[in-house]
Amino acid sequence: MNAIEIEVIRNALVAAAAEMDVTVWRTSRSTIVRELLDYSTAVFDAEGWNLAQSARIPSHLNSMSHGLRTVLADHIPAGDWDEGDVVIFNDPYCGGQHLPDILAFRAVFHEGVRIGFAGTLCHHIDVGGLAAGSYAAKATEIFQEGLRIPPIKLIERGRRNDAVWAMIRQNIRKPDLLLGDLSSQIASLEVGTAAILRAAKRFGADRMLEAGRRILAMSEQGMRAAIAAMPDGTYEFTDHLDDDGITLDRRITLHVKLTIAGDRAHVDLSGCSPQVLGPTNATLASSQAAVMFALMCCAEPGLHMSAGCYRPITVHAPAGLCVNAQAPAPVVHRIAIGHRLLNAMMGALHQAIPDRIPAAYYGNSYVTTFQTIEGNGNREVLVEIEIGGSGAHPAKDGVNAYAAGMHNNSNIPIEMIESQMPLTVTRYALRDGSGGAGRFRGGLGLIREWRVDSARCLFTANMDRFVHAPYGLAGGQPAALGEMWLIRGEDRFPIPPKTDNLDLRAGDIVRLATSGGGGFGEPGARAPEATARDRRLGYA
Amino acid sequence: MNGPIRAAVDIGGTFTDIHCLDARDGAVHAWKTPTTPEDPSIGLLTGLTEAAARFGFALSDIGLLLHGTTIATNAVLERKLASGALLTTAGFEDVLEITRHVRRDIYGLAPDPFPCLIERDRRLGVPERMRADGTAERALDVAALGPVLDRLRALEPEAVAIGLLHAYANPAHERRLADAVRAALPGVPVCLSSAISPEIREYERLSTTVLNALLMPVVGRYLARLEARLGDGGFAPRIVLVQSNGGTCSLRMAAEQPARLLLSGPSGGAMAAERLSRLLEKPNLVAVDMGGTSFDVSVVQGGRIGLVTQGEVGGLPVRLPMVEMRTIGAGGGSIAAVDASGRLTVGPRSTGARPGPVSYRRGGVEPTVTDANAVLGYLDPGFFLGGAMPLDVNGAKAAMVARVGGALGLDAEGAARGILAVTNAALAAAVRLSLFEKGLDPRDFALLSFGGAGGLQACAVAEELGIGEVVIPRNPGTLSAYGILFADLVQDLSRSRLLPAVEASVAEAMGVLDALRAEGEASLAADGVAEADRAFEAAADLRYKGQAFELLVPWPEARVAGAAIHAAGHAAGGDRGPLAPLLARFHEMHRARFSYAEAHAPVEIVTLRLSAIGRLPKPAVATDAAPAGEPVKGRRAVAGAEWPVLDRDALTAAEGPAIIEEAFSTHLLPPGWACTLGAEGALILRRAA
Repeated sequence: MNAIEIEVIRNALVAAAAEMDVTVWRTSRSTIVRELLDYSTAVFDAEGWNLAQSARIPSHLNSMSHGLRTVLADHIPAGDWDEGDVVIFNDPYCGGQHLPDILAFRAVFHEGVRIGFAGTLCHHIDVGGLAAGSYAAKATEIFQEGLRIPPIKLIERGRRNDAVWAMIRQNIRKPDLLLGDLSSQIASLEVGTAAILRAAKRFGADRMLEAGRRILAMSEQGMRAAIAAMPDGTYEFTDHLDDDGITLDRRITLHVKLTIAGDRAHVDLSGCSPQVLGPTNATLASSQAAVMFALMCCAEPGLHMSAGCYRPITVHAPAGLCVNAQAPAPVVHRIAIGHRLLNAMMGALHQAIPDRIPAAYYGNSYVTTFQTIEGNGNREVLVEIEIGGSGAHPAKDGVNAYAAGMHNNSNIPIEMIESQMPLTVTRYALRDGSGGAGRFRGGLGLIREWRVDSARCLFTANMDRFVHAPYGLAGGQPAALGEMWLIRGEDRFPIPPKTDNLDLRAGDIVRLATSGGGGFGEPGARAPEATARDRRLGYA
Repeated sequence: MNGPIRAAVDIGGTFTDIHCLDARDGAVHAWKTPTTPEDPSIGLLTGLTEAAARFGFALSDIGLLLHGTTIATNAVLERKLASGALLTTAGFEDVLEITRHVRRDIYGLAPDPFPCLIERDRRLGVPERMRADGTAERALDVAALGPVLDRLRALEPEAVAIGLLHAYANPAHERRLADAVRAALPGVPVCLSSAISPEIREYERLSTTVLNALLMPVVGRYLARLEARLGDGGFAPRIVLVQSNGGTCSLRMAAEQPARLLLSGPSGGAMAAERLSRLLEKPNLVAVDMGGTSFDVSVVQGGRIGLVTQGEVGGLPVRLPMVEMRTIGAGGGSIAAVDASGRLTVGPRSTGARPGPVSYRRGGVEPTVTDANAVLGYLDPGFFLGGAMPLDVNGAKAAMVARVGGALGLDAEGAARGILAVTNAALAAAVRLSLFEKGLDPRDFALLSFGGAGGLQACAVAEELGIGEVVIPRNPGTLSAYGILFADLVQDLSRSRLLPAVEASVAEAMGVLDALRAEGEASLAADGVAEADRAFEAAADLRYKGQAFELLVPWPEARVAGAAIHAAGHAAGGDRGPLAPLLARFHEMHRARFSYAEAHAPVEIVTLRLSAIGRLPKPAVATDAAPAGEPVKGRRAVAGAEWPVLDRDALTAAEGPAIIEEAFSTHLLPPGWACTLGAEGALILRRAA
């Protein structure tokens, strides 16, 4: 099999992931998928290794393979998958990340041989549990976080299991939206299967399998080349999460010990904090995604991203730490671990390749959930994920309001929100002075304010970097800390960054101010023109 | 005004293409002249003067000039825009810079900001607030605008964009503000978001409004220069400009809403595709345009080109109707390389016009798709561009081995074949995705291939897709100008109004369409279109409640100003009223595109649309004389065999394998394919069943 056939098949698999992506985007129902774009699609080989992925969410993309392989190893062996079966699950302790993320996989057969899998992951608007949006900040057990779905055949040989469908419907707050989005995941798998089969009909099952092996080997070779280009050595870095929302005086340590030896990288996470009582924990699938993502960012631009990239990288994360949480620890805020682990990885990589690594980005998914309750009892739910600024790069300023790192979300148009529910956005602005000073300035965070127009509104938030700021590098300053306020008439109250079901009333305003990115280089070395521009534009 | 010549001029980066239709004998003439970038109207007049001399008419005979121009697009891409200012709702001055967040390169370490055309110190907040239902939460107090207007005046803007929240629901605040701005800054162009894009989603509306405002002075100056040339040698045609939507607009409209010209490049090709679809009786065509750096795909379905309601130029959203097009970075100049992982890549890097492919002898060292075609003998080294540029095949072979073959263990020919295989697969994937996202099957389509580099790849791409028929129009390199020749005036009007799609909303929807129709009538009247030449097409953007994305659904049954817009639509609607057929069409389109429909789920109307069409006179085109002469020019070694080389201008039918040459293009008729001559001189290539 030559390089040309491999490239043609690779192209077909990338196209399959893209067609699946289009399908989810266009057919989903909930705001979280439709406007926040919180989903991913990918294609896998017959063993569950990721061969091609859509350009969506890093925290999803490099965990899906782990999830599928866990299902194959521990729950539904490969031999038990039939043509037309769709397996879904969301349980973090069966290979998932957190309960709102439902993974769906379908095996693809050709000439009677399993040649691969199509997979989608969607963040759903609500999977039950103690807070609307299933983002409860105060959960102490996974049972409080919502409905746990173990790996289960939702569709068996093309026939939907209506009992499972009904079971899900009964346990969630917005069944039409969730089941609509789940239907869109299923439609996407059909599309992906058809796209993979088109290539299989042309090349045959054996060549598809061989091409898969070669695609993985080529990605591995590219990743090895990127690692080999780094100087050998051991690089350590520590960053912190503020707390878990339950034990407020205890920060969570993310310590990375990165060893580069030739074309291999080893990441020792044994210096991280033990798992915590609150939901700021991550399963190994989530933590590995952050480690892999950090190193994959260092590869030559244009390298084909597949599970082959993972091969030269080993991760040591003892069970029971916050980076490898064990049941029944709550994990819904696993993205916080992912963000901070990425921050720590980048801090370590800066020591190896100081001319390529930017200072810390805001490192945080600013998740807010509003459940409005009108006088007539009518309820609407809004989940938003906001962002901050990117870290300054060794050769240029960070970017203001840039979706960086482990997530990659869109904001929701203000006019759409106000057309659909009793909320008014009263301000949306860049946050002056929130980027870390430096020879190159960190990008600015932003300010968003919501006013409640319904009689009541239950407000839930889950965010971080209110105590430990995004770091600067090479003498650059840290970025501003996050802040959140409740404005009620003349009064202002700080809202804790991890808050459940805060009872708001008509006229209340919630103001969120997000962190920028850290600065790079000594502030005194900043070019006078750049300083003047910052002043003119009010950035600094 | 009434001259017999209808002239279409398509001004591209390198060449200005001209097609003329003479109403006296129905003859169509094509001409090409270099573009004059410093002032494209110079090249336009030069080209028309040359064409007039060559084809025997006077400049004063030109009654209608249809003008395609990239002036607006280039101004945006090169940032040669007016220095503007933005007035927006206080508290939301940064929306333009915050954008919609999502990044495209997820693994990049050194991101650049999204483009933002008006810097922060030129974005001013105005105290006012409209609600989603069009009522004012905080009224605009014109008397209190003094400080804002003072700041605005101090900025000395060359254009002012006004974009207030929810202005699509109620434009009153924007209009009052505009009056105040015009009074404070007389003569400075002002653009209102409620005029250019009265649709929901604030960032996209603002981006469109800002682009339009900053283009107004630029395009206005160009149109003034163009009008100044009128009168020279009796040259005084009526002039219309090609818009992004596959129609044209008057000079007046182009000056007010120049953003409508931004993505007009594909319009000419799209109009040509629609016309050929009709003349060749092929209602389903997928049109592909391959040039030096890009490959553009658009779809004609049921004889109509697809439109979308939003596009992008230079990373900036433009929310205006435009021809739906997928572009990938693959063309004759795409560079082939082997990356660190041993993977063969072709594009998206392109050598561009300079230095160009290795075989052009202009200093290029990286092998390209054109070089691969030269190495395999598909291009005649002595007849490239009609013999104007002899190709360096040996240089191309050496580069092929050095940069691609060596790493993969392939000789020059093997590497060249590999490059073409990878390219064709990528082109086919782009075509498939364009059809796929509409729920269409390539096997139901014929491939219309044009652009300078298309003819060599067309049959191979068709085979990848299971398409059995390829159409290569006459003058494939200037097809856009041909398409423009047959354009009408088309003005797209829209207004967002979030309504449940139920009977109780119909009256309100009709009220909106009535208002749009009145606007359209007035506009067509101002452009001198007689009532008999006016037509209106209604549509609505619909979605299931909760979806992010709307489907554009034609609504011929909509009764506007007391009558159905189309008599045919009225018949189709019967006595059921206009809503039922609209909903039925929506469910059906949703199922076709997304594989499911929910007949009982609540549906929302998001935006109402009306296209006001002004039909321009279209003289009949004469049929061609049959080709004459000897089609076989010679034979050439291709892919290890001798292939005949045929002269397109003398060709009536042929069997593959063969090479077909014309002045600016070369086409490949592979083994197993045969070709015949169709309407308008188009070559029809068919694969043996």
